[in-house]
Amino acid sequence: MTPVSSKQYADDVSLLMVLIDTNPLFWSSSAAPLSFSKFLSQVLSFLNSILLLNQLNQVMVIATGLNSCDYIYDSSKGPTSQRVESLLQKLEEFVVKDEELNKDDSVDGIGSSLLSGSLSMALCSIQRIFRSGSLHPQPRILCMHGSQDGPGQYVAIMNSIFSAQRSMVPIDSCVIGSQHSAFLQQASYITGGVYLKPQHLDGLFQYLTTVFATDLHSRSFLQLPKPVGVDFRASCFCHKNTIDMGYICSVCLSIFCKHHKKCSTCGSAFGQPQTVSTSNQKRKAP
Amino acid sequence: MPQVRIIAKNFMDMVASLPAMKLDKLYENAFICEAILRSLPPLAKKYVLQLLYIDVPVAASSLQEWVLADGASKHRVAVDRLIQLRVFTEFVDRKKETTYLLNPMFQRNLQEHIVHGGVLPREPMAANITVRLPSLEELDIYAAQQWECFLLHLISSAEAEVTTKSISPSMMKVFQRGLLSQIDKEGPRLTESGFQFLLMDTNAQLWYIIREYISNSEDRGVDSADLISFLLELSFHVTGEAYNVNTLSDIQRTTVKDLADLGLIKLQQGRKDSWFIPTKLATNLSISLSDATSRKQGYVVVETNFRLYAYSTSKLHCEILKLFARIEYQLPNLIVGSITKENLYKAFSNGITSDQAISFLQQNAHPRVAERVPSVPENVTDQIRLWESDLNRVEMTPAHFFDDFPSREVFEAACDFAREYSSLLWEDPKKMRLIVKTEIYGHMKDFLSHQK
Repeated sequence: MTPVSSKQYADDVSLLMVLIDTNPLFWSSSAAPLSFSKFLSQVLSFLNSILLLNQLNQVMVIATGLNSCDYIYDSSKGPTSQRVESLLQKLEEFVVKDEELNKDDSVDGIGSSLLSGSLSMALCSIQRIFRSGSLHPQPRILCMHGSQDGPGQYVAIMNSIFSAQRSMVPIDSCVIGSQHSAFLQQASYITGGVYLKPQHLDGLFQYLTTVFATDLHSRSFLQLPKPVGVDFRASCFCHKNTIDMGYICSVCLSIFCKHHKKCSTCGSAFGQPQTVSTSNQKRKAP
Repeated sequence: MPQVRIIAKNFMDMVASLPAMKLDKLYENAFICEAILRSLPPLAKKYVLQLLYIDVPVAASSLQEWVLADGASKHRVAVDRLIQLRVFTEFVDRKKETTYLLNPMFQRNLQEHIVHGGVLPREPMAANITVRLPSLEELDIYAAQQWECFLLHLISSAEAEVTTKSISPSMMKVFQRGLLSQIDKEGPRLTESGFQFLLMDTNAQLWYIIREYISNSEDRGVDSADLISFLLELSFHVTGEAYNVNTLSDIQRTTVKDLADLGLIKLQQGRKDSWFIPTKLATNLSISLSDATSRKQGYVVVETNFRLYAYSTSKLHCEILKLFARIEYQLPNLIVGSITKENLYKAFSNGITSDQAISFLQQNAHPRVAERVPSVPENVTDQIRLWESDLNRVEMTPAHFFDDFPSREVFEAACDFAREYSSLLWEDPKKMRLIVKTEIYGHMKDFLSHQK
């Protein structure tokens, strides 16, 4: 699993996985600070500039929809001349397909995108590149996320984060929505990526090129945005609520908001909680 | 002849050394801008990208703010490079504040590239016109063969079969200048730099040849800036695609023929049109790839008994191995030799260092032994180093000899004086003689004349 450093290109060759939030509920809501087409044109310019920086740079784009996610662009395939066209076409197909899936299912309350799915897809393709060929570029993931965190995906996302940390893939996050994303804060914090919530989204391209275009090699001597405070709160496994305090299984570290008779993950039987007068809630591990 | 040490200087150093006028003209070509950007150090790339949409001069201090303390040297290197290539123009205003402005032409071209994405320099020909295009492997083999043939031709004109057709003898002379020297009538011999040239990897060799080719272009009536821009443009073509020769200018067409001899491109002739197919050598031209992406498969096995087996059919390999080994047998696909003291002494006297010889053996190690650590047995590498240090047992120091001192006092004082400068090499108190380094000869003379 661990990447073999000797197999990497010497310098600043990077493999950038860009996860684009295509959640229609977010982009149509009033929370969206700019139109999707404006957003897309800035991102496309950013992709072009990444590919411009180095002949060996590689970019893959994964669309994160409401119910599904899919690869919509891979720079290592196809001619360089019709980059934008092929991406837009794939994106359109994806959005239509994603919408169809939605019809069978009623939208849940928050309408969050399937971040866990696209993160795992990104990590899978990074692993594939690690294992194929003799030399591979240095990978990193950039999440361009707007919609709210879906607490239901907590476990899956945390697992992806830890697997990214293990294979030493930093997750950069660029939050476009109005609220901070606790998931992405944790993701960037744990994997050593950059978390940024741009103030002026009209200048998104400038944010992207100044901060997120920086290759991993140069990051060691550059001053990049530091995390200002990370929301470390976890979601409980039973109701998927974000909680400050809760119960934690002493065997498998599963988190619950209420007392249960036995752990739903590993099946260990719990004892009775102590009386209310004493502290009946254990702090969850940070 | 001046001894020029061959350094695999890259393309961009040459571009940087062009006069300002020509450089500005080069930036009119979008491909050059792209190639230049790609050649920059990572930090410099970042600066360019950051300033791409800023039209006013930016204060140096605000650029430096991005860099942590231990990256300061990298920052300086990046900025110097940008100024050298005239991508940045430096202004110092009245308040002694330095500001930088991005070259407007360069900026515009890159902006265009970012908005519209990369464009190909010319459209490849449709597949139905170009029949029997070589596969990528065939193309690689072709390029390697052609290059090898050229090298062989370069080092010993007699050995090469007549496959390099059109490189004119005068062109060949240009390439050979500096690599070969003619002593009396004995036929040409490789010079020190020639030997080092042969041990370099293909990309480095290619640089050297292309550099000579460009610096010589003015004599052939070709503008060096035009040539550079064509070569850079060539590196943006797609390997293995066919491009119509008719899209080229006259000068470019002659250049293409020369490059075909070097294996950079393959020329093919159809019924009506003719076309050229760039090989990997051409497309790698603008990026200085020193790492293993271009490494060929090795062929040399060295055993602990100093025997050397080279699985190769190539005459060039044989020639190179001859530089520091005795070739014993030559079988159809195998060269057997042994590394001997005599051959290595000869190599050392030709200016090859032990490290070069060892790194050549290591870099070209046969895949079977390349996995082993070390790929060349330690006793062999140690012995090669020892043989080299054998030759350096005597150290030469230019010196001056003093004798005939008028008195012992003067002699003692002179010795002390020389010791103070730590330049006393030898003294003989009985006969009152001493030897000092040349550097203090002047001081010594002054000192002695004051003593009198």
